[in-house]
Amino acid sequence: MSASAAEILPAGGGGGLDFLDAGGALARSPLQLFWRRFRRDRVALASLAFIVFLIVIAVAAPLVVSILGLPGPNVQNLNLTDAFGSPLGPSLAHPFGVDSLGEDVMSRVIYGTRVSLEVGLGGTAISTAIGVLIGMLAGFYRGWLDMLLSRLMDVVLSIPVLLLGLGLGAACGVRGCVKGLISPGLATIVFIIALANWPYVARIVRGLVLSMREREFIDASRALGASDARIMFREILPNLTAPIIVYASLLVPTNILLEAALSYLGVGIRPPTASWGQMLAAASPIFNTAWWYMVFPGAALLLTVLAFNLLGDGLQDALNPRNAR
Amino acid sequence: MIRYVIRRLLWGVVLLIVVAALTFVLFRVLPSANPALLRAGRDPNPGLVKNIEALLGLNKSLPEQFWDYMKEIFLHFQFGYSYYSQESVRSLIGGRLSATVSLTVGAAALWILGGMSVGVISALRRHKLADRLAMGGALVAISAPEFWLGFVFLLLFASDIGKFRILPGAGSYVGLTSDPWKWFTSLIMPWIVLAAGSAAIFARLMRSSLSETMGEDYIRTARAKGLPERRVVRHGIRAAINPIITLFGLEVGVLLGSAVLVESVFNIPGIGELNYKAIQQSDFPVTQGTVLLASLFIIVANIVVDVAYAYLDPRVRYS
Amino acid sequence: MRSIRTIVAVLAAALAGVALAACGSSESGAGAGGGKVSVLVPKGYQSPATESLSGKRGGTLEVLQEADFEHLDPGISYFALDYTEVFATQRPLYSNKPNADETVPDMAASKPEISANNKTITVHLREGVHFSPPVDREVTSEDVAYAIERGANPNVANPYLQTYFSSIEGMPHANGGPVKGIETPNKHEIVFHLTEPKGFFVAEALCLPLTAAVPKEYAEKFDRNKPSNYYAYQVATGPYMLKNDAEGKVLGIGYVPGKSATLVRNPKWNPKTDFRPAYLNEIDIKIGGTQAVIDRQVLEGSNVVQNEPVAQSAVKLAAEHYKSQLSLSPGAGNRYVALNNKVGPFKNVDLRKAVFAAIDRAALDRERGGELVSNVATHFIYPTIPGFEQAGGLNGPKLDYDEHPEGDMAVAEKYMKLAGYPSGKYTGTNTVQVVGASDTPEKEDAEIVNQTLKSLGFHTKLTLVEIATMYAKYCDAPKEEIEVCPTVGWIADFADPQTVLRPTFDGNAIVSTGNVNYGQVNIPSVNAAMQAAEAVQGKEARAKAWAKIDDKLIENAVAVPYDWEKAPRLEGKDVHGVAMLWNEGAWDYSFTSLK
Repeated sequence: MSASAAEILPAGGGGGLDFLDAGGALARSPLQLFWRRFRRDRVALASLAFIVFLIVIAVAAPLVVSILGLPGPNVQNLNLTDAFGSPLGPSLAHPFGVDSLGEDVMSRVIYGTRVSLEVGLGGTAISTAIGVLIGMLAGFYRGWLDMLLSRLMDVVLSIPVLLLGLGLGAACGVRGCVKGLISPGLATIVFIIALANWPYVARIVRGLVLSMREREFIDASRALGASDARIMFREILPNLTAPIIVYASLLVPTNILLEAALSYLGVGIRPPTASWGQMLAAASPIFNTAWWYMVFPGAALLLTVLAFNLLGDGLQDALNPRNAR
Repeated sequence: MIRYVIRRLLWGVVLLIVVAALTFVLFRVLPSANPALLRAGRDPNPGLVKNIEALLGLNKSLPEQFWDYMKEIFLHFQFGYSYYSQESVRSLIGGRLSATVSLTVGAAALWILGGMSVGVISALRRHKLADRLAMGGALVAISAPEFWLGFVFLLLFASDIGKFRILPGAGSYVGLTSDPWKWFTSLIMPWIVLAAGSAAIFARLMRSSLSETMGEDYIRTARAKGLPERRVVRHGIRAAINPIITLFGLEVGVLLGSAVLVESVFNIPGIGELNYKAIQQSDFPVTQGTVLLASLFIIVANIVVDVAYAYLDPRVRYS
Repeated sequence: MRSIRTIVAVLAAALAGVALAACGSSESGAGAGGGKVSVLVPKGYQSPATESLSGKRGGTLEVLQEADFEHLDPGISYFALDYTEVFATQRPLYSNKPNADETVPDMAASKPEISANNKTITVHLREGVHFSPPVDREVTSEDVAYAIERGANPNVANPYLQTYFSSIEGMPHANGGPVKGIETPNKHEIVFHLTEPKGFFVAEALCLPLTAAVPKEYAEKFDRNKPSNYYAYQVATGPYMLKNDAEGKVLGIGYVPGKSATLVRNPKWNPKTDFRPAYLNEIDIKIGGTQAVIDRQVLEGSNVVQNEPVAQSAVKLAAEHYKSQLSLSPGAGNRYVALNNKVGPFKNVDLRKAVFAAIDRAALDRERGGELVSNVATHFIYPTIPGFEQAGGLNGPKLDYDEHPEGDMAVAEKYMKLAGYPSGKYTGTNTVQVVGASDTPEKEDAEIVNQTLKSLGFHTKLTLVEIATMYAKYCDAPKEEIEVCPTVGWIADFADPQTVLRPTFDGNAIVSTGNVNYGQVNIPSVNAAMQAAEAVQGKEARAKAWAKIDDKLIENAVAVPYDWEKAPRLEGKDVHGVAMLWNEGAWDYSFTSLK
């Protein structure tokens, strides 16, 4: 389902392994080759820099907010609404304006970075981990285990993610699910993302593992008496790292957008936590009276998603020189 | 070939059954509120609630409810009755099907045609201005949330509340048969919003896939042999089409999900909107019915994709 | 989305026999403080008190409605939004003119005759009133009897039947069949025999839609379905009917759930038998959308209205540019922050007073659109209800925690200290659960209250859910032990102060489900005063007695009232809308016309 993730979805093969063959007589490791190519892509570098910047902001949000002299994200200032309750626009004290509770929008955008990155990176990481594990098992063992797991993937892929998320969010968003282990809010979203995304990763990994199984280095390891687990984790997994990273980096923006959509539908992050999606949801209908409330979180969301997409493109280009743009 | 198709169809049916079971678990075992309580409204004295629970069949054990539910679907093709309006889910969905189909089929057409043509042009004019603009635009289209985009469109172009009043606003959808022109114009903005993301993905994929193909040796040979460029390009496209077909199956699911957002913003009385409200109201029969329907479409789309692959690549039939 | 809060408070004075101003009494509820009412609505805006009821015949009105109807079966319907449709198509025994709280005979021909011992009510019915096609025939007393009796049918399950009509002989054990105490001596007379002397009270309840005639021979086959689907085939007695086919089917034609409703003229309606002018030819209701967008579409559109609470941004837009298209209806109920008086830290009256003092009530009102659409509440009885002035009027009782609508932290601190927290902040370990509705503006109000509690040192857990769930699962359920429900409210069923205070603050009214005494307020002296005030006769005396109780409630800070609603509604520039004072200021389709 992800943006350009399907671009590397193999219609039968491991497109991401080409660099293994390209080596030949060169003394450089694949990693070094990759980095050289990546370094030359200025757009990708810029995106990486922006993402690092975002991470710094997310981690150091309280510090950033206090340096800028802004109130905290949940500090209500009810005097900043006019007689009709409409919020006031950008000013020196509040460069991005305030929302209908008088909370500073810039501060909320900064803190919202945390939510987006947690959801994007965390949710993706979890679903990737699950997908890799299952994909590896399916591809390595084949037979009935593969059949079972593949069918499971099919089932989950048959349900539209947003509807699934909507239902789960509504169901778990009131009192929590799994006996309260999944509580309303962030945990629910991450749970939904993990649940919805793992089949995509699993399918790709499975395909890659299937094609890798037949290679000589696997046979060599077996001849040396290596156990299945060792082969899977020491031999196969490292070779999957590259495509997994590329794929994951393309899943991140999709998941960030998914959180925004779920928050818009009311089953995502709950107030008073600041989340870009939730801010957009509240702001969209009143765009004409409070343009700042929609423009700034919207721009933040757009730039973040754009950056991850561009980074993913860059990674992909660096790993598959044949697709050089 | 036939055997492959039959196998795929059978698996499709099994999938549907499993999905039905899954939605049952999802929407009844993890409830957000007792629908009987919600329906009883402002005076839910225990007697009334018990009454309603009996009416809705909620007092039976879960396995019993599940068995009843599965029987109704697969034997009678009945999806139960809405807890709220008591209308049969089938007719509720049926009444809204045309709106969602209008929306999604139109968007799908726009997405495929638009995406592919932009992708082809971009691939053939790599690194030129047209390419950069197209790919830049595509990136932005992928990165913008649909509901945000929808509101921006409304506030710019809606004839009732927009800045430049050129297209009908929210809520102006009418059926194709009642007023074809109004039907068409009221769907223009929703189509664009719904198709934007997917079209962009298609364009990018087409571009990369075609660029790769056009670099192949046999293309060079064809050119050297003196084939007109148009036919060369056609060869390229045919070879590049594979990943696109795969993507189609995956994107159908995305499209159906996104339809919820677009229907909500533009107030189109479709199935997405129905589903959204039903979930809020814990109206399980309606929710299950709509999710099942969506899953059916995805399963069918994926069967079509798989069969197309099997047709193009005989090796697949034996997997 | 849905504003369930706008329910006509059916549980009203039903808790014990009450001698209220009967339906059809000449004593008008709107009259009391009528002059003051116009002060609450600034010049230039419409309001029921000043609107004209005349209009031009003809035309089709479009209604943009965000929420769907809940129940359109007159035997089940009980939400304000449902009433906008039901009262255009159904004629109960008594009903209301738009700009009055008092009721007039509708299906009835005259006021109810109550026997001297208060145990028998006789109602004479109008002649010449017919059902709409396909039933067509004249309405008789048997139809009214069936309408009420079917309320006890478990497939219909009217939610307020036992509350109001349980004193009718045979009603407590009825299950849809004929009820002993409902007698129809002839075609145009219906007599109710009661087992207790509650004639006045039951007569009042005859203005509820349950009393709208239903033809038995036509409806009983639908009432046999579980649940009844009569609503899908309903016939009408009013000036309009839901569009139907030759067999009478409405579902899918005149009412498409979640999509639309279409009201057309009832060909069998005789205008000479009705006080309604019914100017419009047709009313097309479009269901769905976002309130803020709908409101803008109405302001800029033509031949269109909206009929639900107006979004805050649209209130501003209307006040600044479209004044004449905004109608305000004071007396549309109150809103308050319910504090759990039984369980948790707010058992302590001083802590309650501290919270009362700390909350910025003006800000809560601003989230709804500000002073134009809401007055800061200083006590519970709201304008247009007798007792409002006696309880202190706009300014309310003179108490330090009530005096500052913007909140006063100094006073709050004082009470925190009195409660035993010398630092002025709560230092206990209880987590306070706050449950509010997730729609704007309830969401913002809940967040403000949440923040106020935090600033007083409380640890809070804020949960925002869909409004129906908020009531059904949390605030209506004592066993959930929710400490704070900040977005609850109340509208009275009749213009009597008892219906505002008793169901919500009487300790004897607490029940285990569907409990509307959200705070489980149970103060013995107040309970006793309510018991006594119930029996008081005469409007002035009742107003005084209940005003005293209102003040007593505020002295105990049982809850924090913050809003006296002036329900706003919007109309297109070429619509002459007439609002229902008695139903939340909603537009009355039977009186509205096009300019």
